[in-house]
Amino acid sequence: MARRPAKAVKSVLSAPEAERFLFAEARMLDERRFDEWETLFTDDGSYWVPIDPRKALGQGVSIISDDRKRIHERVYRLTQTPVLDQNPPSRTIRFVSNVEVEADGAGTARLRCRQLITEVRPGGLGQAGMNAVRLFPASCEYRLRRDGARWKIVQKKVVLLDSDQPHYNLSFIP
Amino acid sequence: MAVTERTESFADLVVDDPREFRVHGSVYTDAEVFAAELERIFERTWVYAGHESELPAAGDYKTILVGTQPVILSRHEDGKVHALYNRCRHRGAVVCRQERGHSNFFRCRYHNWVYANNGDLIGMSQSTGYPDDFDRSAYGLVPVSRMANYRGLIFISLSEVGPTFDEYLAPARKYVDAWLGRSPVEQLEVLLPPHRYEYPGNWKLQAENGYDGYHGNYVHLSWQRVLQLSKESTVEEVQKYRQEGAARGLPRGHGLLERPGSLNPASSWTARMMDRYPEYAKAMSAKYSEPQLIDLSARRNIFIFPNLYLFDTHLRVIVPKAVNRTEVQLYVYALQGVPDAINDGRIRGHERFYGPAGFGAPDDIEVFTEVQTGVRARGHEWNLFCRGQHRERVENGERIGHTTDEAPQRALYRQWQLEMSKP
Repeated sequence: MARRPAKAVKSVLSAPEAERFLFAEARMLDERRFDEWETLFTDDGSYWVPIDPRKALGQGVSIISDDRKRIHERVYRLTQTPVLDQNPPSRTIRFVSNVEVEADGAGTARLRCRQLITEVRPGGLGQAGMNAVRLFPASCEYRLRRDGARWKIVQKKVVLLDSDQPHYNLSFIP
Repeated sequence: MAVTERTESFADLVVDDPREFRVHGSVYTDAEVFAAELERIFERTWVYAGHESELPAAGDYKTILVGTQPVILSRHEDGKVHALYNRCRHRGAVVCRQERGHSNFFRCRYHNWVYANNGDLIGMSQSTGYPDDFDRSAYGLVPVSRMANYRGLIFISLSEVGPTFDEYLAPARKYVDAWLGRSPVEQLEVLLPPHRYEYPGNWKLQAENGYDGYHGNYVHLSWQRVLQLSKESTVEEVQKYRQEGAARGLPRGHGLLERPGSLNPASSWTARMMDRYPEYAKAMSAKYSEPQLIDLSARRNIFIFPNLYLFDTHLRVIVPKAVNRTEVQLYVYALQGVPDAINDGRIRGHERFYGPAGFGAPDDIEVFTEVQTGVRARGHEWNLFCRGQHRERVENGERIGHTTDEAPQRALYRQWQLEMSKP
């Protein structure tokens, strides 16, 4: 049998591949597999939730502007320390849709998508802030880079629909 | 209003007992108390409205709520900031609906009356419907009763009576000056937009917490572990630091938590920055004597009654929205006259701890909601604010306690009691 040529590592991200990547990431977060989520980022990766998306990263204050070290701190905090704001933890379900792949250089890619996070923290009867179902619609942009056999996140940007409005608790990872 | 054991007088909800200072739980839950607070405190005393740097150019404006009342802060061509009631003189619609922006005038959308940035009525549509001698100058947007600008901090009062601004600020003034003094040109610039969070709890829970030196080891143990992870300081070091300094209750409801100042870069932010940035050290040393430098390098969380905190990274504004709903706005600012790297570090440090996704503030907010739920239980009706009463000392009208004592909270509730006793 003729040996098939080794499958070349594709340097262009296909739309189905992009969806698989985003859906897998969403499920990691919903299932609170934060350690695994952290490994999706490149060593220079960043995670950004701006208040004013017209501003550049680092200009003024953001809801989140994590460099790679701070992403690790965020995950460490949620998984290894006695947090109050995620005890009890948020339950989330993330719908990811409207996925668009933008051509970029070889080995890099840009994605746009919409996400809707539904979040609730269960608690006892009458506990202020508990048991309310909250919705977080957002526009997301990803910059990805090929790293061996997988794609990794160079930057994840999440623009909440109401990014400039007051929020109660965004300590789950939006 | 629910049937409660509450007495008729609001003043009775605070008991200034020398051994057991206490506050009745209904101050957090009773809608009647809340309505009275808006009227007797927020719509009557001096309140913080905004910072001058939010309105750098003529035509810049922001809108705020004072109690329940909509107010515009507006920078006019005359260079001055005006505080105007946001209500058309004709049929009462607001003349500005945006949170902030820039405009040459304010136009009521209902019948097209137009006002200048200082409130003057400059245009009326189909004006022949009014007599020739209709005096437009009498129908401008109404300015609030009193306004004061203290070194960029703008305060207003909707009441003509009561203490002057100088009397109001006097007990806290030197701390405000030291806070601003970390800028060698004594100026700051607010960086918009602010962090905003909103929690299902009473506004006083935020007021009580910002200078509470007692909760850190418990509510922020998680934060201390993060600092340990990044090898910035051990949990033990942070906990030791939190024993040092003082909690001060000041007259007129102000108060602060103070960690000691030092010229040792290991124990003071200002000293650390001076150590790291020679140009900052040079500017500061040229301006201040050594004792002054030590004083202004103290880290202080300063509360200005009833709605402002001055923190080392931000101005914090408390906005009461309902008896069990509060918005908090954190205006991060850049110190002027310092290297950009200092401000960048301050902003990133702020983001790390504060805001709705920070590593510290959401833990505080979590306990506010726990109090809000807990005080509905009436097995006992009083919250205790007596920590450190037995070891409090009085100097120059300040009541000074251990860093974990509730001296500042008692100052808050003494003033609350005073204002709420005035019909």
